[in-house]
Amino acid sequence: MIRRIRLPLSLRVPLIAAGMMVLVGIVASQQVMAALGSVQEERLRELARLHVDGLTVALGPAVLRRDVWEVFDTLDRAKQAMAGQRLVLTVVADEEGRVIAASDPLRASVDSLIEPLGRGAQPVEAIRLTGEDPHVRVVSDLVFQGRTVGRILSELDVADLVAERHRVLLWLLAGNAAATLVLAVGGYLAVRRMLRPVADLAAHMDRVGGAPEAIPAHRIPEGDTELARLFQTFNTMTGAAAAKAEAERRLAERERFVSLGRLSSSLAHEINNPLGGLLNAADTIRTYADRPDVVRDSVDLLDRGLRHLRDVARATLEQNRLDRQGLPLRPEDFDDLKLLFAPETARLRQALTWQVDAPARTLAALPAAPVRQVALNLLLNASTAAAEGGSVDCTVSLCPEGLCLAVSDSGPGLSTDAQRRLLSDEAVPPGAGVGLRLVRDLVRGLDGRIDYARMADRCTVQVLLPVSGARHVKGPPHRAGRRRRDHGRLNRTAPAIGRGAGGLAEADATRGWGPAHATRTDRRRSL
Amino acid sequence: MDRRRVLALAAAFTAAPAYLRAAEPIRLGLTPVFLDNDAEVIARLREAIGQGTGRPIDLIQRRTYQEVAGLLLEGGVDAAWLCGYPFLQHEAALSLVGVPVWQGAPLYRSCLIVAAEDDATGLADLEGGTHAFSDPDSNSGWLVTASDLARMGRRPETFFQRTLFTYGHRNVVRAVAGRLTRSGSVDGYVWEALARVEPDLTTRTKVIARSEQLGFPPFVARRERTEEAGVGALRAALLSLSATSQGREALDLLQLDGIIPGDLSLYDGIRQRMLDVAG
Repeated sequence: MIRRIRLPLSLRVPLIAAGMMVLVGIVASQQVMAALGSVQEERLRELARLHVDGLTVALGPAVLRRDVWEVFDTLDRAKQAMAGQRLVLTVVADEEGRVIAASDPLRASVDSLIEPLGRGAQPVEAIRLTGEDPHVRVVSDLVFQGRTVGRILSELDVADLVAERHRVLLWLLAGNAAATLVLAVGGYLAVRRMLRPVADLAAHMDRVGGAPEAIPAHRIPEGDTELARLFQTFNTMTGAAAAKAEAERRLAERERFVSLGRLSSSLAHEINNPLGGLLNAADTIRTYADRPDVVRDSVDLLDRGLRHLRDVARATLEQNRLDRQGLPLRPEDFDDLKLLFAPETARLRQALTWQVDAPARTLAALPAAPVRQVALNLLLNASTAAAEGGSVDCTVSLCPEGLCLAVSDSGPGLSTDAQRRLLSDEAVPPGAGVGLRLVRDLVRGLDGRIDYARMADRCTVQVLLPVSGARHVKGPPHRAGRRRRDHGRLNRTAPAIGRGAGGLAEADATRGWGPAHATRTDRRRSL
Repeated sequence: MDRRRVLALAAAFTAAPAYLRAAEPIRLGLTPVFLDNDAEVIARLREAIGQGTGRPIDLIQRRTYQEVAGLLLEGGVDAAWLCGYPFLQHEAALSLVGVPVWQGAPLYRSCLIVAAEDDATGLADLEGGTHAFSDPDSNSGWLVTASDLARMGRRPETFFQRTLFTYGHRNVVRAVAGRLTRSGSVDGYVWEALARVEPDLTTRTKVIARSEQLGFPPFVARRERTEEAGVGALRAALLSLSATSQGREALDLLQLDGIIPGDLSLYDGIRQRMLDVAG
């Protein structure tokens, strides 16, 4: 397969200029050769015309009488007189085309037909010098006393003219080649010099990993208004691009808050609900201060509630830490995600299936922040799509290409716009959200790939993140949780939550604490 | 005016007609049949004869023997260098003035020539080819071949595919050398003279047959004018050419030894051939 070589503009244009010079050289040579050919043909026409006119005058009566000797004598004497000159053969025939005599009877014997010799012969007025044939044949009527009495065929030696053309052609080729070379090199250098600012511009455009860099003022060409304007425009664009990059960075930053904002109400529940239990425990201690067993149980309850609150606070803080750039991905990151996300599914009464099955060493090859953000955005999007009562699956596993993060939901699937944001670089329509586009940008930054599939009543977004040596990474898989389906109902919370609020609620329910407990449990349910 | 001067003037007037008569040119007819435009030969011949006769010589050239013979018969020229054949044709009206001597004898031969590469060895091999004659009134350039064919029971127009007249022995050699015709009938004297001065031309031809010795083309005059002073002076000058330096120069150029009175018996061979052709 032939690979097309793309030359840079700064090389292409000079080469084209050089090519144009070569073309001009060829055209000029062609013109010179055409002019030379024209001069030679005119000379030949003149000679042939004189020859034919002279013979017509001399041979007219003899041809009329068909006097073989007279015709031969005239031709022979003409041949002797012009020995060594251009005339090679002259044949005179009568009006029926029968040869009367020729200067070389061996080539055209008396009474033979002139026709075979006349093939390819040109009229005197239309002689053309073509090809390499050293001889040219011309034919003309022999008109005597206003009547055509015969024909004259002459063969002219044009070897010297052909040789001259060859000689001129060689000189032209040599001269033009030299001139063209000089012009081409000169043109190349001149155009290359002219395009140097463009090369500079291109270099600045791609200075550091594709990030355009403003051109210093002293490098902006003076006096060349077009290029100066181009450079200034480029500098303006560079500023705009930097501003855009900054805006995108801020947008991505905000996106983290946005996702957390979306979780805030759920998280408020996660904090509020245990608070009810904790307050109940405090009341219980206060009421039954004299009963050590009750106090001990209540303190245990207080301890579990506070630990849960601590976990929620830590996960939230972890998600928003600004100094997490560069930290490796850990299994605990998925635990945090689940801790943050599960309440949202619980609020929407959605079934959440969570399975993380990847070795810690594999995960460590990836940065934590973008992967967490990608997973959270996809989960939030899936949860929104699945709507109330739907289901969301999250699977993290090791695959041949690396780490595979699959998020599926029972929603109606991604809209066309959403797919464009997630799967392509097409411009995001104004007003559209940036969560999916952020996912795309982050995955691309990790050299990953996003696949989207809609099968049966589920749609799945799968993110493949390459991990160097993924196939060889060995180690015990991290089990963030056994595969199970957690329904979003309050009394069936996910395990992590179960350790906190769920566990607290479960404890409250099993122990059958007083009305206050039941009241707080109901309050949480109502929220 | 004294008496001496009157006598001198009278003598001058008396002598004038004789002087004028002496200055009247002798007109000699020639054909280019064997002299073929050789300007130097003609000039030397004119000078030599002029010196010999003491009178200017007009060399009047015509293209054919017939034209020269016609001039001679009608008095357009005083004498002519003719071929033996037209001389015998008009034998009754003409008489010999002198016969050139070539290679020691007033005789020559007719030659049959072909191209140097031609395989023909004789007249019979030339049947169906093209043939160049010099003149229909030439002995060597027509009569000999025609009579040879007559002896074979053939005629030139049917024996050869095509015949043509070149009106010059040199032209016959040119026609054969240039391959215009396959063969030609040529004066043996002319062919050998050409072989010396134009060997490039003759080497392209070769002689395949020679006739018997025949009378050399003679100088002739009208029979009734042989006694005229002009013709007499011409005869004397011709016969004494070899005795003068100018005459020898002219003879050398013509490759002749001299000119003798000759006699009619020299032309018996031609006469016989004329009879053969007449059949």
